[in-house]
Amino acid sequence: MSVVSTPALPSTEPLVFAQTLRRWAPGIALVLPATLFLTVFFVWPTLQMIVLSVTQRRVDGVLIEGLTFDNYLRLFSNDLYLRVLLRTLRLAAASSLVAVLLAYPLAIAIARGGPALSRLVTITLVAPLLVNVVVRSYGWSAILNNAGALAYVLKVTGLSSSPPALLYTEWAVLIACVHVYLPFVVMPIATAIGRIEPSLEEAARVAGASRMMAFLRVTCPLSLPGLAVGASLAFSLTAAAYVMPQILGGNFSPLLGTLIEQQVLTLSDWPFGAAISTLLILVVLSVNLVFIGLLNRHFSRWTGGAK
Amino acid sequence: MNASSVSLPIRLLVVLLLVVIMAPLAVPMLMAVSDSPFLTFPPQGFTLRWFERVLLSREAQASFLFSLQLACWSTIVALLLGVPAAAALVRYSFPGRSAIIGLMLSPVIVPLIVTGVALLQMFSSLGWGDTLTQLIIGHAVVCLPYVVRSVTASFMLVNRDLEDAAAVMGAPPYKVLTRVVWPQVRPGILAGAVFSFVVSFDDYPISMWLADGRHFPLPLYLHGLLERSIDPSIAAISTLVILFALLLVIVIEKVFGISIARLAT
Repeated sequence: MSVVSTPALPSTEPLVFAQTLRRWAPGIALVLPATLFLTVFFVWPTLQMIVLSVTQRRVDGVLIEGLTFDNYLRLFSNDLYLRVLLRTLRLAAASSLVAVLLAYPLAIAIARGGPALSRLVTITLVAPLLVNVVVRSYGWSAILNNAGALAYVLKVTGLSSSPPALLYTEWAVLIACVHVYLPFVVMPIATAIGRIEPSLEEAARVAGASRMMAFLRVTCPLSLPGLAVGASLAFSLTAAAYVMPQILGGNFSPLLGTLIEQQVLTLSDWPFGAAISTLLILVVLSVNLVFIGLLNRHFSRWTGGAK
Repeated sequence: MNASSVSLPIRLLVVLLLVVIMAPLAVPMLMAVSDSPFLTFPPQGFTLRWFERVLLSREAQASFLFSLQLACWSTIVALLLGVPAAAALVRYSFPGRSAIIGLMLSPVIVPLIVTGVALLQMFSSLGWGDTLTQLIIGHAVVCLPYVVRSVTASFMLVNRDLEDAAAVMGAPPYKVLTRVVWPQVRPGILAGAVFSFVVSFDDYPISMWLADGRHFPLPLYLHGLLERSIDPSIAAISTLVILFALLLVIVIEKVFGISIARLAT
């Protein structure tokens, strides 16, 4: 058979090529408009901005062209900018950590709580995402200001007569960020917990583990893939927050987002604004890569390859 | 697994957390009917005059209508681009497929505030396009991943055997598409459209760069109002926004039968 088919091979090659092209054509045609759109209006402007950050600098209000790293040197040599960067990283890390801690009870309720509880928790959790960020921030300011709902509740319950001054501090920003980014942490963890066989936990309990022990040694390690996704999302979203620090953080604790807005809109220093933007992209991408890397390399040993 | 697998302390903690999660939506509603020009808690008396003031405000009406218009256009653009792309990504193989999937989802990873400033820089250096077009383009970039994700998921669930059966029984391709494929992917397209609408309607970080005085979306208007005034009319307009969101939740869950949890996954 092979002897017969061999001589025919060379002549079929162009035909095979044409057939492959024809097989690819409809897919490429359908995907082309969206690909072009994103290339022109997303990839290109982002690359252009990164290029701008290393090819222009402003000195005394005058733009100077030419390859330069001055914008980045300025960012890392100035105490004020450095403090904004550190504050952004600190707040993002804190938001990610607090969100993970609060996410577990909610994720357990969603994954193991029966349909009614699961639905109630899911809808309550996700509903704030449908309200725009200004209204949510306003809601928190009405709770956290010194004549607000929190002060009132503390006074009525007798817990405290002088409420803590939270509004216009980093605490207010942290609270608001955790509030809105919590669903992005809960949902992946709930999905991961939902995939764990309940019999595994039962086995641990039957073998004499306390509820806490069963959670720490069985449920928690198996949910780490969900945790990694959620924690990196909460970190990225908090690091890029702009409106909440603006409304709740006061004028004295800006984050990188506020810095970009000031440099570009108030001072018209586009190259420096572009450098801060590039740094923000790098921070978000590296955190995501680190978390996914950890997930692939280290966690798989503990999770038995759970994904 | 029965409901008792969630222990009582965890149940209590969950209830407490749910109360805290709803608080920033509930408190503005209480303040909105307070008959006092200051934002002190608890609200005093009862009045609807703040609602009257807000509903009669020309500026508030204009920015609400503009946000509505912007969200509809952005959703249409995102659907026109995203639905064919999602179909291609599931149904056809072609070179660079996985790179294109990455590209389609990347606008959610890059900080929105950076996407916005990059677009402003490009538009202003080109001197191209009017404000509405620029805003629609910016929003469509951000809405596209939601459409692609949602529609891709529904295309993956399509049962191919049904199409083969219809074709074998003599249905022409367009009939297979409209009578067999369409009913199966419709929920995914609807979900993508709804999420896209919500993302655009609530967007701040793209609009803040591209908007101008005549094209002023609702979130920007609200931020301005919040900086100018402290009286409860801001609570009243927040209440209306929250009620609109709760209405959306009901429509999405009950009428369309889409789980809003998918917005966060």
